[in-house]
Amino acid sequence: MTATATGTKTRTEILISGFGGQGVVRMGQILGLCAIKQGHRVTMLKSHGTETRGGYVRAQLVISPEDVDSPVVESADVFVAFSAPAYKKFYDCCSGTILYDPEMVEEIRPGAPARHVAVPATALAKERFNNVLFANMIMLGALTRVAGLDYEAMRTAMPEVIPRFHEQNLAAMDVGYTLPVATGSRP
Amino acid sequence: MNRLARKYLRPSQIPTKACHGCGIGMIENWLLQAIDELGLKQEDVIFGTGIGCVGRQTFATWGGDNFGATHGRALAVATGLKLAQPDKKYLIVVGDGDAAAIGTSHLIHAARRNLGVVVICEDNMGYESTGGQFSPTTPAGYVTNSSPYGMVEPPFDPCDVVQAAGATFVAETTATQWHQTVKIVKKALQNDGFSFVHVRFPCNENFGAYALGTRDTGKNLEWIYEHTQGRKADGSAADFTWATGIKHDASNSRPEFTKILRDVNARVRAKAEAR
Amino acid sequence: MATIVRADVTRELVAPWAEWERRYTQGRRLLEAGTYALTEGAIAAGCRVFAGYPITPATDIAEYMSKRLPEVGGYYMQCEDELAGMHACAGASLGGLKAMTATSGPGYTLMHDAYGWALTNEIPLVVVDAMRVGPISGITGAPGQGEFYVARYCTHGGNFETIVLSPSSVQEAFWLTIDAFNLSERFRTPVTILTDQVVSDMWEDLFIPDAYDALDFIVPRKHNLMMPFFPLGTADLDVPPNLVGQGTGVCVSAYTHTEEGYDIEEMEAQWAQTYRLVNKIRHHRAELARYETLGLEDAEVVAVAYGADARTVKTAVREARRRGLRAGFVRPITLWPFLDELFARDCHYVVCELNYDGQLVREVTRAAPDKGKVHFMGKSAELHTVAEVVAGLEGVARAGRIPELPYIWTEVR
Repeated sequence: MTATATGTKTRTEILISGFGGQGVVRMGQILGLCAIKQGHRVTMLKSHGTETRGGYVRAQLVISPEDVDSPVVESADVFVAFSAPAYKKFYDCCSGTILYDPEMVEEIRPGAPARHVAVPATALAKERFNNVLFANMIMLGALTRVAGLDYEAMRTAMPEVIPRFHEQNLAAMDVGYTLPVATGSRP
Repeated sequence: MNRLARKYLRPSQIPTKACHGCGIGMIENWLLQAIDELGLKQEDVIFGTGIGCVGRQTFATWGGDNFGATHGRALAVATGLKLAQPDKKYLIVVGDGDAAAIGTSHLIHAARRNLGVVVICEDNMGYESTGGQFSPTTPAGYVTNSSPYGMVEPPFDPCDVVQAAGATFVAETTATQWHQTVKIVKKALQNDGFSFVHVRFPCNENFGAYALGTRDTGKNLEWIYEHTQGRKADGSAADFTWATGIKHDASNSRPEFTKILRDVNARVRAKAEAR
Repeated sequence: MATIVRADVTRELVAPWAEWERRYTQGRRLLEAGTYALTEGAIAAGCRVFAGYPITPATDIAEYMSKRLPEVGGYYMQCEDELAGMHACAGASLGGLKAMTATSGPGYTLMHDAYGWALTNEIPLVVVDAMRVGPISGITGAPGQGEFYVARYCTHGGNFETIVLSPSSVQEAFWLTIDAFNLSERFRTPVTILTDQVVSDMWEDLFIPDAYDALDFIVPRKHNLMMPFFPLGTADLDVPPNLVGQGTGVCVSAYTHTEEGYDIEEMEAQWAQTYRLVNKIRHHRAELARYETLGLEDAEVVAVAYGADARTVKTAVREARRRGLRAGFVRPITLWPFLDELFARDCHYVVCELNYDGQLVREVTRAAPDKGKVHFMGKSAELHTVAEVVAGLEGVARAGRIPELPYIWTEVR
């Protein structure tokens, strides 16, 4: 797995956040398992306690070819924002690319438009699958493309984490992976 | 030392340090009689106790294996031990503090689970080893060293509690009822499930002295006997009556707790092997 | 033991699993939580009874155990409270089965009754305390390190030593749990695994070896079937635990006891029992040393931390070294008995821990040659950030003190 933000850095930090039920932790698990299968070290912190009551859920992933010491994402290479509160709360923890769902995050900060990639995951999930639950897999596909990760490895890891609806989930990943906004921003 | 004591008890640990006229030693003899009549050997029975008069005076008297738990936790220990040693009989000999106060939650849940042990609750109606304070089984109104104006709380009947919780054998008896007690303990030991035997006995030094105004063993036993009959020696009605005898007998009617867990294991492993 | 020289710095990991990791390479690599690793470590070590009461953040251990134990012929028991849980574990262990319970601070304090009983009767078992911030219920999903001393003084009455280990990663939690079971068998005593909400809830790459039966470093349960049941006045290791249920006549109780286990009220007996409970651990401290260090060869300022908090602290030490600071790192894995020898170097110490009252720092102060050079960075409910610790290390190196930082307390009274 190659790092996104800097070429020399061995440590890749990914932060995913949204509401409970959006599949944030599942996304993190797939990313993590995929990296492990490629021989990397992985840590994933997930927020705990308030997610069942509608608060934010956060997954912080650190991926490295060497042992990971700090598991805390202090300067994310990729930040996936699935909700406006999450976007606001963790904006400062990201120094790299921000993938956001425009249906959830209606307003982005001025000043760094180039860092932002709008992935209409919720809208596409409704449109293509008639089910918002597939938004996370659309986002995962887009993230895989934007971050330059191994897409085949990601497709292989997914069914080991998600128990059901593998075909639809794979189709959702394809939707995200082939989005113009994802392919265009990182050729 | 009598024949049964020689057969089952530990010579170095008897006589116990119990007070003169205490009923604990006598009741233990009755337990031995029941064990003997059932043909059980020392190694067949694990003897568990707690803290207080009953715990302190009976611990290590049994010639086989003994444990004396922290206050109230004899049944919690027994729950784990029974998992590891399921084929043994367990005599959990505890007082009213262990069974009906500090350890009530364990009592209730052991009954609910139908844990295969026999609880002998030897009840001297108060905390006598700490000098005679009331307990949840002290009769209402009686004077103890912590109820100088009379016990203001209503007592409860531990038999009712364990029966409601699911105990499969429940009986009440007293230190004035030798043959009945032996018969009850034998039945309790034959139940592969949770058996509860409530045995009231007199404490001369504290309950007798302060609640009843006498340290005379005979008078204190007579007070207990009157309350099993509901009337005093002079024919007048007692202030209340303890109904003694077997109160609930559903022996061997539902599976013992650790057997259920062993059955679950067998089922899970059979399923795994079939796969 | 392993000495790994990477880049310009020496890392030392002293722990039995440093060997195990090299020897056992056949297995699966998973992404799993610390609670999973603690459970599998216990199963691998031969644990066959779990009795406890669910509590965040240790609940998942109970859930994993309820699934796993029946598969390996063991028993899961959900008790009416933590008192019952640990007493039932002690009972199961007395009956010959290895046992474990898991809880968090509110349950751990309820276990002190059972802890003392198991400790005085020399009953092996393992207790996991996944610490969260407190006091009392505090914040259920946030990490704390408030039970450093509670774990040492895990019951009342004095006259005992305790063994407490703390992992800082999911992988380490797996090996350390096996180690904890081994130590509890060898020392005939309960062992606490003092972990925290981050290590127990964090997901991390985890290597699980194949075929637990083939692991040759597991200390099996043995049984003592004869007198003396309690080798009082000795400090012998590897005395097999007593077994109740075989008619040996063994007695165990809450009282000060004789070799037979009889209750006794004599000063000489109290002395002999204390000698046993204290010195079986004190005389074998060398067997109990588990720790990690970094850069101690040239350090002027050493950051000290344990558990999950040591993860960010270690990154900070590497960052400080990158910036040219002669920084070092000490992570005690064995918290008790306390490893005084790790603090023999005359230098500055910056002690990071997740409480504001200052616990670990007191022991470091006691052990360090110059008490004036021991500094405290207390924080609560979140791990220290790398930036905070770097600022602390730089402040001490340049000005001899920790700079003012939000949410960091430096005072220990």
